[in-house]
Amino acid sequence: MDAEDGFDPTLLKKKKKKKTTFDLDAALGLDDGKKEEPKDDEADDTATAEVEDNLDLESFGKKKKKKKKPFNLDELENALPGEGDDIANIVATEEPEEEEINLDMDFSMAKKKKKSKKKDLDELFADKLEDERNEDKENFEGNTTTWAGSDRDYTYDELLKRVFEIILDKNPDMAAGRKPKFVMRPPQVLRVGTKKTSFANFMDIAKTLHRLPKHLLDFLLAELGTSGSMDGNQQLIIKGRFQPKQIENVLRRYIKEYVTCHTCRSPETILQKDTRLFFLQCESCGSRCSVASIKSGFQAVTGKRAAIRAKTT
Amino acid sequence: MSIQNLNTRDPFADAIKGNDDDIQDGLVHIRIQQRNGRKTLTTVQGLSAEYDLKKIVRSCKKEFACNGTVIEHPEYGEVLQLQGDQRENICQWLTKVGLAKPDQLKVHGF
Ligand SMILES: [Zn+2]
Repeated sequence: MDAEDGFDPTLLKKKKKKKTTFDLDAALGLDDGKKEEPKDDEADDTATAEVEDNLDLESFGKKKKKKKKPFNLDELENALPGEGDDIANIVATEEPEEEEINLDMDFSMAKKKKKSKKKDLDELFADKLEDERNEDKENFEGNTTTWAGSDRDYTYDELLKRVFEIILDKNPDMAAGRKPKFVMRPPQVLRVGTKKTSFANFMDIAKTLHRLPKHLLDFLLAELGTSGSMDGNQQLIIKGRFQPKQIENVLRRYIKEYVTCHTCRSPETILQKDTRLFFLQCESCGSRCSVASIKSGFQAVTGKRAAIRAKTT
Repeated sequence: MSIQNLNTRDPFADAIKGNDDDIQDGLVHIRIQQRNGRKTLTTVQGLSAEYDLKKIVRSCKKEFACNGTVIEHPEYGEVLQLQGDQRENICQWLTKVGLAKPDQLKVHGF
């Protein structure tokens, strides 16, 4: 830092000139840094300011950056009132201090930064440390883009590799193909008298599945071909005798049809009703598909026919 | 005279009108119902009306050694009703005879 202080005055000048031309360069995007190089050699007759700009772009090595750091802080303060964009640019160029490797990445980052930084210049300084930390991470990602420092087109494989690396980076859960697993307590099913069955933790299960109890109830009763209702203590009373195993089977079918995503099997889904149909919207992969509507279908007449006849007539 | 092409037509009009698509969905629903005690009933809904269900039930009764009947339902058409849990049997039989493909069968119940 001490040595750098010496450079400050000259740098200040440079930067000021830069502000006018540099913006354009930065705005032009990734390739500019590269394209500028040959131009620079040829175009000696251009103004010194321009040359200096180009130098900045090319010689992104340690030296230049070291210089920039102390300088930019001053510069920022000077420029605070008017030129938000310029400042953002300067900060952006100044930030990649640690990494000399890929300028292009830095520039793409600069663009991102611009957006966020324009917001509040005061925040800039507060966030600086954080930004630099993030930068390290981003630069690390950037290293995998092997085409970054060259003019050539990226290949499909490179893009594929890159996207998977980003996905893995952002979703650590997905690593090692770990499937999100459903942990659910088994249904508590008890016989009530001789003809009824109680499903004690029905509400709990509906809650763990994030489904409306009504929906689950409709499905259960339709599948079991029977009737039932909730009683006073929030337990479900089903007509007929059922084993826990049997209820479990039905629940499993319910989960398969109405809870887990049909595409990626993720249980993070939302069931929403649209006109007449229910749609299952996946929170993980975004897929949306319609699910079978619950219909009890044909119900055979059981029980005492005499009683039914008596009721209808 | 009206030009038919210019009429706006709601493509979902039919769908909203009725929920009788059980018959149209091409699925054969096989359900089980509990009766009193350990007794159960198997119903088969959605077999095409082209088939003679009376003949089908006759051979089913023989094949599964159970009683059965055909019930005329206003909404679901003719429904096969067999005594006992015949879900496995009826699935195998329907595919064997070629009345339905395995993916057309939808088995409900526990
Ligand atoms: Zn999904």
